[in-house]
Amino acid sequence: MPGDNIKKIFENTIVKVIVALAIVGAVSGATLVFVYNYAMPKILVNIARETEKGIKNIFPEAAEINDSEIKGLYDIADDTGKIVGYAFLAEGNGYQGTIKLISGIDANATQLKGMEVLESQETPGLGAEITTKKFKSQFINLSITHPIEYLKNRKPEKDYQIEAITGATISSRAVVNILNKRVEEIRKELKK
Amino acid sequence: MIKDFVKGLWRENPVFVQVLGMCPTLAVTTKCVFGLSMGLATTFVIVSSVVVISTIRKLVPEQVRIPMFTVIIATFVTAADYFLKANFFEISKALGPYIPLIVVNCVILGRAEAFASKHGVARSFLDAFGMGIGFTCALVVLGAVREVLGAGTVFGYPVMWEGFTNWIVMVMPAGAFITLGLLVGVFNIVDKRVKSK
Amino acid sequence: MKKLSINISPHIFSPVDTRYMMKGVFLALIPAVGASIFFFRMQAISLLIVSAFGATLTELVLQKLRGRKVRINDYSAFLTGVLLALVLPPSLPLWMAFLGSVFAVALGKEVFGGLGCNIFNPALLARAFLMATFPVHLTTWSNPVGVDTVTAATPLALAKFEHIIAPYLNLIEGNVSGSLGETSAIALLIGLVFLLRKKIIDHRIPAAFIGTVAVFSTITHLVAPGTFSSPIANVLSGGLLLGAIFMATDPVTSPVTVKGRWIFGIGCGLITMLIRIWGGLPEGVMYSILLMNALTPLINRASRPKRFGVANAR
Repeated sequence: MPGDNIKKIFENTIVKVIVALAIVGAVSGATLVFVYNYAMPKILVNIARETEKGIKNIFPEAAEINDSEIKGLYDIADDTGKIVGYAFLAEGNGYQGTIKLISGIDANATQLKGMEVLESQETPGLGAEITTKKFKSQFINLSITHPIEYLKNRKPEKDYQIEAITGATISSRAVVNILNKRVEEIRKELKK
Repeated sequence: MIKDFVKGLWRENPVFVQVLGMCPTLAVTTKCVFGLSMGLATTFVIVSSVVVISTIRKLVPEQVRIPMFTVIIATFVTAADYFLKANFFEISKALGPYIPLIVVNCVILGRAEAFASKHGVARSFLDAFGMGIGFTCALVVLGAVREVLGAGTVFGYPVMWEGFTNWIVMVMPAGAFITLGLLVGVFNIVDKRVKSK
Repeated sequence: MKKLSINISPHIFSPVDTRYMMKGVFLALIPAVGASIFFFRMQAISLLIVSAFGATLTELVLQKLRGRKVRINDYSAFLTGVLLALVLPPSLPLWMAFLGSVFAVALGKEVFGGLGCNIFNPALLARAFLMATFPVHLTTWSNPVGVDTVTAATPLALAKFEHIIAPYLNLIEGNVSGSLGETSAIALLIGLVFLLRKKIIDHRIPAAFIGTVAVFSTITHLVAPGTFSSPIANVLSGGLLLGAIFMATDPVTSPVTVKGRWIFGIGCGLITMLIRIWGGLPEGVMYSILLMNALTPLINRASRPKRFGVANAR
């Protein structure tokens, strides 16, 4: 009967399609497991190394970096084992895309020890100036008992103020806001 | 056979003639080194997937060839992504999501569909390799123009005079469109000259 | 035997040709150019010369390269160069102005096919390009009269960020910082009267543009007088008058229909005020005109007048 024939072909095609897709899927899955096992340890090392580099810039005296009891915080100890401060990651919206920062506070949580930009997509020549030493050094020993403020075209007068980058107020403000938000969270956590 | 290779370099250059794969072309060519790494990653993906595809081309059921090709391409893209993250962390960070996005680069699926699914392994390999190199060259040229004007450097080495003012637009998306448009124009002028001789 | 010459319509000869119009616009610009030279001296003169020369030279070279008839004597490129200079800050390095004028003619006009085919106002397009390329130089302003290049904020920036309002008299005379041609309201208004009298531009676009800004800023000023400056300050400061009179009325890049011109002007005014009030920039005239330029074909199509005696077309 012709009807049976058609049915047979149909069934065959379906089976063929399923088998073919299953094989491709399985093979590619297996390949990726292999690649993942090879690459993942290295990737984790890379990320850890980058965080460490940032922390070392902020705490030159750091000898030991450990995960803190508070989630998202790193305990920084000097070579005598005394805790000198805490480092933390923070991120938020910049002028373009996300700005990812690493920063640190002293053990009493009264001062910012510095700030490093891990990732940003700010406008080169303007917003990207947040990665320059001139801008970053303003955050060293900045008081955080008061929210950080930024000034336009004026030198800071108080110890919680920084000068915004000329022509890139939005990026400067973004950094300040990200830090203020995160610092407040951390200060709350530490008080507990 | 050699023709299969050469056509991707000039006559059917994926960027300047076919104008395919514009997303990475425009997005990552802010610097030479990014263009080069994106080009090489794409070349790796296109060559390896095309070899696999042309090897199994007779076993692939007609109805599901596109999903199958896509899975194969995606596998190689993910592998390339992990490899870059593991060994070239800085570059991988700079290229961001554009490495995983090689999956949707139509140059690759285009070659798989238009060439590899109809030709033998050797010819498909040469074809894909030519396309990959052509793509890479175009990205490096684009990256060079944008890096020289936008940052005054080539591959990170300063080439402009002291006090050169960076053309910031060049490292922004608008600069990519302007540069690409002008380069396609230059390409056409040269091409016409060559042909008329 | 003389060959039969065939020409497409229209056959009526009018003295109003491109050259006449461009000359008219240039004459109308003379007060503004004069004011810019008066206030910014050598900086203004050199910028004007470099920019006008750059634009004309680019037009000449490109038309030669493309094997077209050279038509630099219709003054259109020259005028583009002058207009560009008028929207640049006085202390801009000359080579940047030159680059801008090359960009204006090459990528703003010739690349689309020459005069009449461009989508965007070439002078403003070049300014947008320069703004994206050299943002620091394009936002460094100097005070008038003095030859020194002390940075000084524009009246709009002062009003937006520091809430300082420049005296109206200074705004009218032009004795404030800003781009070359935008500071003196009185000089620009003289130009407007001249253009309207000579029927070179239509009153609708400037009226709608300036009117919208006035109405919008009256409302915001009444709501929050401390934060938003008065309508008079809004109309007189920044590039509004220059933009509304000389840029938005560009016959190539603005709508041809009556209704379309009203829409165009209102759109420009709205975008300008939105940027001035809620945007990150103090001034929005340039972007508002460029955005509306992009909408011009759409406006033309949407506002096509209905033919007499024809019922609804569809």
